[in-house]
Amino acid sequence: MSTPGRPAPLHPSGSWTVGLRDRLSRTVPAGQALPDRQPAYVASWIYVFGVLTLAALVVVIATGLVLSIEGAVWWHISDTGRFVNSLHLWSVEVFFAVMVVHLWGKFWMAAWRGDRALTWITGVLCFVGSIGTAFTGYLSQSNFDSQWISGQAKDGLNAVGIGAFFNVLDPAQMLLWHVVLLPLVVGVVVLWHIVLVRRHGVVPPIDAPEPPITTAIPPTPEGVLS
Amino acid sequence: MQIIPQNIPLADPGGSYVNWSVFHISVTNVVIIAIMLVVFVLALVLPFPGHGDEDQR
Repeated sequence: MSTPGRPAPLHPSGSWTVGLRDRLSRTVPAGQALPDRQPAYVASWIYVFGVLTLAALVVVIATGLVLSIEGAVWWHISDTGRFVNSLHLWSVEVFFAVMVVHLWGKFWMAAWRGDRALTWITGVLCFVGSIGTAFTGYLSQSNFDSQWISGQAKDGLNAVGIGAFFNVLDPAQMLLWHVVLLPLVVGVVVLWHIVLVRRHGVVPPIDAPEPPITTAIPPTPEGVLS
Repeated sequence: MQIIPQNIPLADPGGSYVNWSVFHISVTNVVIIAIMLVVFVLALVLPFPGHGDEDQR
């Protein structure tokens, strides 16, 4: 908006929106946010487990939302509720299994190479945050199992000296950690992890040459997947 | 005096376990970890479908 008596600037280069837009556009190279081609070495099953982890996470979140809408009595008593509850549990089991295979694959290909240290670190944070979210899920079942687990957890956490910072015997606190705090943390870190993967590209095998970031995908079909 | 009858589920020992030195793990978890290792090896050695011929990419 121009001020009366003052000519409008030719381009709003000084505005924060332009600065933010430029920063966002520089975060991921052009065409790499949702690429339709990948380097040839990505044609391996081991590169599938990252997106399998994301797919399982989508099911975890979707079933968790349904459980939060209907409530504890529904998931304990009704057939549909128990089915959705089982979907939530087993999607978490699949999530962790494929995430660990993804971790093994990235560890043995030293995926922190090529300025990807932060990608590796955010992956570790996703793993640790997911463990916390899963553990608070066990405490949120609202049954004898969650009571027993919370008692065992309290003993363990007190033994390592962090029992005063949060109370695993408080079902309300643990339920809020499980459905709000930790999913928010994991969600933000997962998004950060994905942006970093798209920013730096998929890590090549150790014996493969590293493609330049800005021209990670050659313009010709040679050596790429369509 | 017997307080908990033997047929109450709480008295169930709860599955089979593998004990090796300081390690104590259920057979179920051992099987799951073994399956994950098999999946990992298969992911490394199985060809990716539809991309076996380099010249057709």
